[in-house]
Amino acid sequence: MSKSSRRTIQILILIAIVILGGYAIGSAVLGSDGKLEAGDKSPSFALLGTDGAVHKLEDYKGKALVINFFGTWCEPCVKEMPALQSEADKWKDQGVAVIGINAGEDQMTVENFVDGLGIKFPILLDEDKDAINAYHVVPLPTTIFVKPDGRISAIHLGQLDLQTLDSQIAQLVKQ
Amino acid sequence: MFQNTKCECGHQNPVGTVLCEACGKPLGELEKSSEVLEMRYDGAARRSQRANPNWIDSIWNFFSSVKVAVVLILLTLLGSTLGTIFPQENTFINIDASVYYKDTYGTPGEIYYKLGLSHTYESWWFITLLVMIGASLVICSLDRVLPLYKALSKQKIRKHLQFLTRQRVVYQGEIQEDGEQWVQNAVPFFKKKGYRVYTDGTALLAEKQRFSRWGPYVIHIGLIIFLLATLARTLPGFNMDEHEAFPEGDIKKIPNTSLYVKNEKFTVEFYSEDEMPSEFRKIGKVLPKLYETKAVLYECAAYCNDPSKTPVLKEVARHNIRVNDPLNYKGLKLYQYDYDLTPILRSVSPTLVNKKTGEEYGKFKLEMRGTKRSFELGPYTLQLLEKYMDFTLDENGQPASKTPNPNAPAFLFLMKGPDLPASGVKYIYFPKQVDKERFQQDAINKQLGGLQTNLELDVKSMEDVDFSTATSYLNIRYDRAMPFVWIGAAIVMLGLVIGFYWQHRRVWLRIDGEKLTLGAHTNKNWFGFRREIAAILNKMNIEADEKSLNNGGDKA
Repeated sequence: MSKSSRRTIQILILIAIVILGGYAIGSAVLGSDGKLEAGDKSPSFALLGTDGAVHKLEDYKGKALVINFFGTWCEPCVKEMPALQSEADKWKDQGVAVIGINAGEDQMTVENFVDGLGIKFPILLDEDKDAINAYHVVPLPTTIFVKPDGRISAIHLGQLDLQTLDSQIAQLVKQ
Repeated sequence: MFQNTKCECGHQNPVGTVLCEACGKPLGELEKSSEVLEMRYDGAARRSQRANPNWIDSIWNFFSSVKVAVVLILLTLLGSTLGTIFPQENTFINIDASVYYKDTYGTPGEIYYKLGLSHTYESWWFITLLVMIGASLVICSLDRVLPLYKALSKQKIRKHLQFLTRQRVVYQGEIQEDGEQWVQNAVPFFKKKGYRVYTDGTALLAEKQRFSRWGPYVIHIGLIIFLLATLARTLPGFNMDEHEAFPEGDIKKIPNTSLYVKNEKFTVEFYSEDEMPSEFRKIGKVLPKLYETKAVLYECAAYCNDPSKTPVLKEVARHNIRVNDPLNYKGLKLYQYDYDLTPILRSVSPTLVNKKTGEEYGKFKLEMRGTKRSFELGPYTLQLLEKYMDFTLDENGQPASKTPNPNAPAFLFLMKGPDLPASGVKYIYFPKQVDKERFQQDAINKQLGGLQTNLELDVKSMEDVDFSTATSYLNIRYDRAMPFVWIGAAIVMLGLVIGFYWQHRRVWLRIDGEKLTLGAHTNKNWFGFRREIAAILNKMNIEADEKSLNNGGDKA
């Protein structure tokens, strides 16, 4: 084996160690036990909406997306719904979509909820909790702000007021 | 430092060579001494030993060092030990680690948590140690195995005299015969003992079981596979460890798979009083003897990713899961983990009756989940307006649900039919008797105007109530990296056998005039080796005592 090819192999092995080791250490440092964080890619989903149509993440490609996880029984979720509806109307023409994902309740419960509060933006059913698991949602409500490129820009846990929601969306549109 | 590495035999050796690669003559300072030779790697230089090391060589040299490897292993050992003081965070399903350790173990627990030792094995420093050990394994091996392989595959038969006399096993003596003839006569005796024999005039090299030298490197390959497999576990899709609740009778999807599980029946058996020690009896302790989930595993066959359609399921496995007896389907395992005997109401089948006349208008099934919106009962229609799974009144006095669980279900109907106003009458129904009284169903219905009709929903017998009597908690796990862990472990075992069960034995022999010089080397079992050589010499009519062959050396 010539000297130069020996050196090449040496460098290749070092590169392999750096890549594998870097991945391992990197995921230990950054990987907060699988939780979702700002900057991560928004996990895909395909869920049935109360409108009877199947909604997928890909359908909202190129739009800034606000995903609100809620339960009909959860008081702060109910309280922030009007704010979400008014923001959905306000930003509709500027490429912002608001969707709600219900955490595991049945169709009738969610339909009554939507009708009762007069919600117009798409509400999706997640009876198997697929999206809940994919997004690692624990407390309700959880609101996730997704940039048009599909990356998460912010995650908000708990009730949102109109001002915070408005400034978050404004930021999302600016990006 | 400039070092002349050219041997007197004319061979140009790389920097760091201890024994000339060709003739075996000790080089440098070593030449003047008369101590037994250090035969590691046959005296060849390690790969990374260079005259002018650059930064790559420095990294290489660092990881190539056995001392560094030993320190790394000791540090990892220490780190692993620290991780066993208190239970690791990932052994709990639902704890708030920031308070758990302090509450359970006091100040030491708090310090333990703050130091990050509650997740030792996922910490950056522990992973860094493992990566460094991995690097050390690869580099150590390559740095040594290649020069050793080269040295062993290009052995010169005639070695320098000093190389022979400074082995641990040495014999020197006079012979009467012709040197070349003597060597030829000796060949069959070596062969008989299983040696491969090479001769070069009056010189001889006999060698056996060289493969034993590769044992340590085989072990290293196994360890590298082992480490890579554990690294692969962190990749998505390689590893799953979830805990899910399965109420009896329900079919539930396993997240991130196309598999569904049905808990057909959960049974639990408790120790009877006389089976328990009196200490337990006194405090009224209840201990489960056996719990079992009759589980059926389904795989989705059609409409799997279309939420607008109901998926078609196909049964793929069935097993009675008990503790330590999981359901196993293609490496996916369902372990019995826990249970909850709180009954969950699934459906009731009330009958519409006229309280006054006792007339019945029919029975209908009212499901807690996926409830139908309207029911036809004789001349009456019942339209379900609202349902509350866990009935309560919110701060504005409006009916609401506290949780999504059917703890206190309530249903608000709009009844239409004979003798009722055309717009209908509202009627609230609590299936559970306790709720009926607690929330005063009759009083509410009076306000709603439905009571005057004498119509009532009533459950006639317990057969009309469907409960899920128990919820079984299963731990769902698979580990696709596991086969590689086993392969790695098997290779390590193979390497251990190769390295420890056999010994690499070599005998060098040269005749200078009438003087016979024999030097021999092995890596273990020197005692057996000397006896073997003494036996061969005896066959050649040379009286040599086993012990007299011993030329010193610490373990000889």
